Order: sequence, then structure tokens, then C-alpha cells
Amino acid sequence: MSNEISRRNFLKYVGAAAITVGPLTGATKALGQAKKPIAAIPIKIAAVSFLTGAAAGPFGIPADNTFKMCADVINKEGGILGRKIELLSKDENGGVDAQVKLARKLLLEDKVDVDLGYISSASCLAVLPLTDELGGLIVAYDCGTHELMEGPKSPYEVPKFKLGFKSSAHLGIDNVGLALMIKKYLPKIKTIAGVNQDYAWGRDSWLIFETAMKKLMPQVQVVKTLWPPLGNTDFTAHISALMGAKPDIVHTSLWGGDAVTFTKQAAGMGFFKNIKTAWSRGEPYPQELGKDFPEEQIICCAGTHYFLYPPPEKSPLNKWFVEEYRKRYGKYPSYPCYHAYQALYLYKHAIEKAAKSAGGWPTNEEIAKAMTGLTFPTPSGDITIREDHSAVEDVLVGFSKLTPKYPFPILDPKRMEVFPANQVLPPVGIRTVDWINSWK
Amino acid sequence: MWVIYTLNGLYFAALLFLTSLGLNIILGVMGILNLAHGSLYAIGAFMAAWTIIQIVTKVPEPLLYVSLLSGFVLAGIVGWVMEKTLIRAMYKRTLEYQLLLTFGALLLLEDLIKMVWGGQALYASAPFDLLGKVEILGSVYPAYFLFVIAITLGVAFLIWLFMGKTRLGIMLRAISLDREMATGLGLDIGRLSTLAFVLGSGLAGLAGALVIPTTPALLGIGMEPLIFAFIVVVVGGLGSLKGALVGAMLVGLTRSYGIAIFPEIELPLLFLIAGIILVAKPQGLFGR
Repeated sequence: MSNEISRRNFLKYVGAAAITVGPLTGATKALGQAKKPIAAIPIKIAAVSFLTGAAAGPFGIPADNTFKMCADVINKEGGILGRKIELLSKDENGGVDAQVKLARKLLLEDKVDVDLGYISSASCLAVLPLTDELGGLIVAYDCGTHELMEGPKSPYEVPKFKLGFKSSAHLGIDNVGLALMIKKYLPKIKTIAGVNQDYAWGRDSWLIFETAMKKLMPQVQVVKTLWPPLGNTDFTAHISALMGAKPDIVHTSLWGGDAVTFTKQAAGMGFFKNIKTAWSRGEPYPQELGKDFPEEQIICCAGTHYFLYPPPEKSPLNKWFVEEYRKRYGKYPSYPCYHAYQALYLYKHAIEKAAKSAGGWPTNEEIAKAMTGLTFPTPSGDITIREDHSAVEDVLVGFSKLTPKYPFPILDPKRMEVFPANQVLPPVGIRTVDWINSWK
Repeated sequence: MWVIYTLNGLYFAALLFLTSLGLNIILGVMGILNLAHGSLYAIGAFMAAWTIIQIVTKVPEPLLYVSLLSGFVLAGIVGWVMEKTLIRAMYKRTLEYQLLLTFGALLLLEDLIKMVWGGQALYASAPFDLLGKVEILGSVYPAYFLFVIAITLGVAFLIWLFMGKTRLGIMLRAISLDREMATGLGLDIGRLSTLAFVLGSGLAGLAGALVIPTTPALLGIGMEPLIFAFIVVVVGGLGSLKGALVGAMLVGLTRSYGIAIFPEIELPLLFLIAGIILVAKPQGLFGR
């Protein structure tokens, strides 16, 4: 009996020692005494982005650069709980089947600790269900579809995947944000049109925008909806058809080479003289096209991801991020860079949070538990992961404007709007379309 | 607006004409259905983009337009190698073998492009930007599109001269009309087939090169032109320059007006037209 008491007392002392010594010697040592030791081997993190093909230039390469940069910075600061990051950059090109195979290989053969990946909504929809099947942790970092985490009808049960997360908000915020922006700044418009690629991304983007516009500005008429194929090289017919329909605003979710081709050909045909475009994720293209990108276009930043927002003088983290990225890669970071940062740091913060309660290196389930409800700092401001395993983000919308300081149009600082998450993102368990339709 | 719709249709038709003429010559003279034709288009596109990027700041402007010919040349060379190594063995085989082989060549060439130029988009819009805009009946229109239409008309005229007036062209036509008789008359089928394949490939490459100033070179850029070129061959008929010209214009204008009037069914409409022609006139509008 006395023996037992003394053991209990002993444990108390050890516990007290750990608490007092812990902060002095670093978390690693304090946790080292616990039952789950922290292995000395590096953490294997897969980063899957388009490294080849149409989406490589605008999204995949900048995101991959950011993963490398952040892993490098974390490693130089001592890693995550003392473990260095070993980054496995993988190519998302090759279609959905190839991605499912790759994800299986990463989780089962390469035994990665976490799979951060996917720019294409199709990849996300195909790969995320593997999390619960294989018990692997997957964080979707960039893909836009709102269907990924939503159930078939409202209200739906959350989370959809126990070990699957989405560390950026879905396309709902972009398209609702555009509609709110139009209502606020261009309340007199009468007609809108759309040019969106003929697959899930384009169709979903237009659906949300059109639904939101009908609620916010019921007097506005849709005069044309066009669906060019992905990878279209000749937009002349679409451009003239839009010009012929004379809309005030054309909504578009075009991306990559299509966005560049469309803008160039449209500028050549005098399209922007009477028509404004509203870009659901247009943030990268002014930098890509330089002065060829027209002024006065409405641009959404897929969140509040912008190299000038939050302003560097107000956000040291954004200032650091922009400068560090520019130093390494010679460009300003675009929104996929911010998305990559969010995914990697979500994982880091979750590990650190989970390790405290788990007393050692946490299991995937413990990491998932720590991620849910986690709020962590990012260059775009604090971000929270909700119970539905998706990130909550505000959205930044602005008008393109040339200034003497930059060789491409930036968002006019006087007309930047940040719409808070509760105005652009449905509550947990409600489908985006149902939520918009319930607006009074 | 209708003038612009028509010009758009003609511009699309011009590129389509060049691509489908190449496909048509190869199919007509050699009886080879080349599924890798779109990849030769892509090679022309990447080559032109690469060349322009290399020289854009170093040479006088007109040379940039001449440099588009690099797409024609490289696609022709690749076509020559393909014919000598792969296609040659296929002349006596059935169509299934050809399709398998040329589909294999398609995959091979796509990977080759990735190896040589990397997987990223190549942007080379200088020739498009430099020509600026012209005003047509109150609408502005990029002059480069008119340049493409003019070049294509020139090429069509040259090919017409070549096929109709030169000895070589007449021999090519003889082979496409009656291969056995042509062999019997002592024509060197082997060399003429190589010539046809090189010419056909080069035309695809030229079309790819011409499109580059308006859009970045990307992996898979040759897929859409291949599908449209097949529609043109079906509509216009085999072995006919006139067929390729009329077929391309029909497809180009239908697409342009279709997108303006009923955008949801623009592509099905094209297939519908092709289908009707296949049923009513299986040899195509101008085929034999």
C-alpha cells in the first residue's frame, strides 16, 4: 500500500518536473518521457500538385515552390517537434485514376505521414475517400469544388471524412463574393453573361454565381452562358458571341492558359471596351499577363490571398511570406502559394497541439481531432478549421488598376472589399445552394 | 456583329483546313489513318513557341513571322522519321494495325514533347501583339487573325498548283486514285509515300505554329484539332483539296454561328452534320 502511494508521489514529482523543465528544454524533451516516443526519422510529407500540363504554370509550380520553401524554413527552425520534414513533390498530371493509384502508393508503400495535395476538383473528389479506407491523413489544399465536403442534402452529417480535410474554403466564397461585390459597386447593371469551362469547376462556379445573383439582384437578366471546352485555343467565337449579347458583366472561372488566351484574344477584339469581367479566381492573371490585363475588372482572390493584403505594415507574416517567396522565386506569391502554406502549417500546428494531449507523437486520429476547431495564423490572417473539416475563410474582391509601382494591374487599394466568412460561406451541414436559396 | 462571326469562322476554318489537308493527303495517298496527326500539330506549336522565345528580342520583327515556319520544318522532319521507321511496315497490314501503331505514336510523341520542352506552358505571343488591331465596320479585330487567313489562302493556292500542275503532284494524285496501276506504271511508291507523309505532317506543324501567337503551347494541344480534322475529312471527302476547303469552312462557320446562336449544342451540331453527310453521301461532299 505504502509502496503504491510512494509511486504515485513519484509520478507527481516527475509530472511537476516535466512541467517546469519542459518550457526550458523544449517540448521534445518534455514529451520524450511520455509513452509515445518521437522518432528520430524525418516526417514524410507528400505534396501533390500539377508539375506538368496546363495547371502547372499558374498553380502547381507556385504551390510546389511554397511547399519547398515552407518545409525548408520549418527544417531550419528545427522541424516539427524536432523531426525534420522530408518533402515528396509529386505530379498531379495524368488523370483521376493515376491520382488514386499514386495516393494509394504514397499512403501504403511510401508510408507518408500526410498527403497534402490536389489542385483539380476531380482529383480531390476521387482521392479523399481513400483517407478512411486506408486510414491515411489527406489534406486537400487547393481544389475548389463545394461538393467535396458537402453531403447529398441539407442538413448533412459532418465530417464527411474522418481523416480527410480541406485547408482552404471552397468556390462558394469566390462566387458569392463576386455577387456581393457587384451589388455593392455596380448596383445599376441590368445584364450578365458567363463563360466557364465545360466541366465540374466551370459549371459549379457559374451555378453558385447565378444563384447568388438571382437572390441579390433579381432584376438582372442572364443573356448568355457559354461553355468552352477545357484547353480551348480559339475563343474568338465565344468572345464575339458575348459581345453580341451585350452583357454589362461577364462572369468567368477560366484558369491557366485558357484565362490567358481568353484575355489576350478578347483585348484584341475590343471586348473590354463595354464589358467588365468578374473573375472567380482571377488573382494570378494580372501578374501573368502584365499590362495586357485590362483595368477595372472585378477580381476575386480565392480567400484573402493577396501579396498586398493584409497590408505588409499590418501583417508581418504576409510581409515575410511575400519577401521570402520573391527572394527565392522572383515573383509575388499568388493564391495557390497561400493555400500551400495553409496546408503545411495546419499540419504543423495540429501536430503540436495534439502532441500536448497525446504526450508524444500523435496518431492520425489524434491529429485529425486536433485539426478540427484549430485556429492558426497564416499570411492571410487567422484561419479556422470547422467541424466539417473545411477551412473558414473571408474573401477579398477588388478592381484591377494600373499603378506606377508595379508592372501589372493590382487591386485598387481604395476599392478592396473583404466579405466575412459568414456572408459568403454556408453554415456547417448546409449545402451552399440551399443556403443561398434560403436568403431573405 | 455578323461580319465578325464570319471572320471568326474563317479564322478557325483556316487552321482547320491546314490540319485536315495534311490528314487528307496522308490518308489519300498512303491509305494511312494517322491518329498521331494531332501530335505533329503539337510539335509544330511547341517548336514555333520555342523558336520565338529564343529570338524574340534579338531579331527584326518580320523574322518572327518567318520563324513560324520552324513548326512546318520540324513536324516535317518528325514525319519523315515516322514514315521511315514506323509507318513503312504498315502499308500491307489492315486498318486495325495502323490505328494501334499510330495511336502508339501519338502517346510516344506526347511524351517526347514533354521530355524536350518540359511539361509547362510556353508563351510566345509577340507576333500577335505586334500586328495590333484593325477596324472592320465599327468593330476592332486582331490583324493577326487576318494574317492567318491570308497565309492559309496562300498555302491552299500553292498546294493546288503543286497537285495540279507539277509532275510530282500529278504522280501523288495518281497513287491516291489507283495505287496498283500507279505501281504498274513504274512510279516509285516508296519515295512518293514518304513525300506525302512529310508534306502532310508539315502542314499539321504549320497549323500548330500559326496558332501559337494566340495561345500558349501546352501538352495535349493537338487533341482538339485532330477531332475537328476528322470531322472535316468526313464532311469534305477524301483526297480532295476542294473538299478540305469547303469542309473546313462549313465546320468553322457552323462552330462560330453555333456558339453565337445556340451555344449549348454547338459541338453536337457539328457531329450531327457529319453524321447526316455520312448517311446521305458516305464519300463526303467532294469525295470520290
